[in-house]
Amino acid sequence: MSLDIELHTPGKGSQRVALRGRLDTHTYEDLDEALAPLLSRHLHSLVLDLSGLEYISSAGIRSIFKARKALSPHGGKVLLVNPQPQIQKVLDMVKAVPLNEIFSSTAEADAYLDVMQRRIIEADDDD
Amino acid sequence: MQMRLFIPREHARVDDLNASLEAVLANNGVSRAIQGDVRLIVEELASNAIEHGDVARVGAEEHELCVDIAIRDRLLTLEFRESGAPFNPLEQPAPDLDADILDRPTGGLGLHLVRQVAEMAAYQRMGNYNVLRLSLRIPTEEDPA
Repeated sequence: MSLDIELHTPGKGSQRVALRGRLDTHTYEDLDEALAPLLSRHLHSLVLDLSGLEYISSAGIRSIFKARKALSPHGGKVLLVNPQPQIQKVLDMVKAVPLNEIFSSTAEADAYLDVMQRRIIEADDDD
Repeated sequence: MQMRLFIPREHARVDDLNASLEAVLANNGVSRAIQGDVRLIVEELASNAIEHGDVARVGAEEHELCVDIAIRDRLLTLEFRESGAPFNPLEQPAPDLDADILDRPTGGLGLHLVRQVAEMAAYQRMGNYNVLRLSLRIPTEEDPA
């Protein structure tokens, strides 16, 4: 099994990408390639839906680090949704993601993004 | 259950090796969680050997990676053998997991994962070979770990 990468219709400054299969030595380059054009836009969030991801290794962790680093200069974040047990275990073992950047569902991540978006709008209004 | 598998030092063959191991483990009633741990150990060690192994020192007849797997009394053991310069994966420095999240080192993560997942790990230099033995306890159904 390889890696399926599904790019959803982009939202306002946010992009959801669903991953299915395995993110490892054999597939991380496919993900890096698929994300490259998205990361050059000024996204405030890249939401990786991991519901269908079965396995991750250090090569996959490095891809997530790379994406996070690419978005950080303009304050963008990488959010992870619904990591399965093997994925959660590996994320924990390398302390790969702050707890507030992992969500149990896309609805939960959307609610968080709405709050962030509102804060940005309110901050703009204050100017 | 006991078996030995050899593969050439190529990334694509590591996937084949893991597919074979997964089938064997599934046939022996090993849980998906343990299958995932074995896949992780094999991928990280094999990738490391392929990327960092000193191929110039590896003779053609010794070019393969060898993995022995055995299950006995709810203990799964893996023996990983490769020829090349002496390299003890258990003595490599741990990555700095508390570094700033944006500035995290990307090296050393794989071997760190291997050390974390394995219950026991021991390294031995035997002739021209680096030999790493690892074991994982297979939880019984009454005793989920």
